[in-house]
Amino acid sequence: MSNSNVWLTSRERMRRFPELLAVCAKEAAVYGKCVASSGEYELKKDACGREFQALKRCFIEAAKKIK
Amino acid sequence: MYIFFDMSKVCRLTRMLSFGGCLNLIGRQRTPLLRTSSSVTMDALRTGSSSASMNVFDRSMKRKQKAWASALVDADKYDYLRNEVGSRIADRIFDVARTFPLALEIGCGRSHIVQHLNKETIDTLFLVDVNEKALRMTAEMDIPTHKVLADEEFLPFKENTFDLVVSSLSLHWVNDLPGSLKQINNILKPDGVFIGAMVGGDTLYELRCSLQLAELEREGGFAPHISPYTAVTDLGNLLGLAGFKMLTVDIDEIEVYYPDMFQVIKDLQGMGESNCAWNRKPMLHRDTMLAAAAIYKAMYGNEDGSVPATFQILYMIGWKHHDSQVKPAKRGSANVSFGDIGKMNELSRNKPNS
Repeated sequence: MSNSNVWLTSRERMRRFPELLAVCAKEAAVYGKCVASSGEYELKKDACGREFQALKRCFIEAAKKIK
Repeated sequence: MYIFFDMSKVCRLTRMLSFGGCLNLIGRQRTPLLRTSSSVTMDALRTGSSSASMNVFDRSMKRKQKAWASALVDADKYDYLRNEVGSRIADRIFDVARTFPLALEIGCGRSHIVQHLNKETIDTLFLVDVNEKALRMTAEMDIPTHKVLADEEFLPFKENTFDLVVSSLSLHWVNDLPGSLKQINNILKPDGVFIGAMVGGDTLYELRCSLQLAELEREGGFAPHISPYTAVTDLGNLLGLAGFKMLTVDIDEIEVYYPDMFQVIKDLQGMGESNCAWNRKPMLHRDTMLAAAAIYKAMYGNEDGSVPATFQILYMIGWKHHDSQVKPAKRGSANVSFGDIGKMNELSRNKPNS
């Protein structure tokens, strides 16, 4: 990644994260509850994978809609 | 303005430690967060020199981060925490019933304590910081000031010089904290006082836990993203070993509410408080960020959608030894028994002048 603009563009994209997360508040709450309620031995990699994929899908769609 | 921070309503002051639920979940992870332990400080004393092996923070990186933060156009928007802690330290200075001809402020930044002080308390003031730009940006005040560009761990002053040394929220980035405290004790005059505030213990535990859980769920393991802090119990030991007497250590918790996790991180960057520990992980995946923000809101969020960030500030007051100071009474010198406590009213009635 030698292009110096990468920093600027990735930071620009990250600046939109809060508003996109606000759009997907419901999926975020479901995912958060899944992680918070799993015990210390059940929280392995992808323990709440389904919920996270739903959140990510919502996030990507929101990013496409809100230009 | 993306911060909802209303000081009068929102800033809560508690004197009890409050532990986040996930500390039980990740119990093992607590030990790396205690930056110094008594065994480390004992080694430092035995070798007779400040331990050069304690290298937790990248100091040159911290200097660059502070310089970047000072260069921001809206740098004073991030000063709310420093101003609040500065005013509380100024309160403690006023509580001490004497004046200080010569005072020193270490790690002053844009000098947040001195704005609350006046000429009656302090005659001359020295400001020390690693960041040149912040020193130049300090406001004009009626106390004559001298600014010195120096590192907190290498103070360029002669011993027995200062009546008062203050430090607000800068000692938590110092590598050799025992050595630094010893230097402060050195440059104080006998019967001089050191009043400091450090971020400690459970600060930002919500952010730490959210990141840990998110990394665990998304990537299968976690790495430290929050810098290590000193625990309250260690602070008392450190001050004692540095030679301070009549110690006072107390804890304040300041909760600041933000819209979401990203604003917490952005404000920390703006304050110049980005992590510079050598063991920090340089990468944070976008998936993990998203997961952490969701977990933060689910675990700690309030009804109105805001999330809290806790800053646990440890205030410490230590005096340099002087013969006039009160010493603990000698063993066996008691002349009243504990059993007489029930008869306290009678005793005080019999002695009308006490």
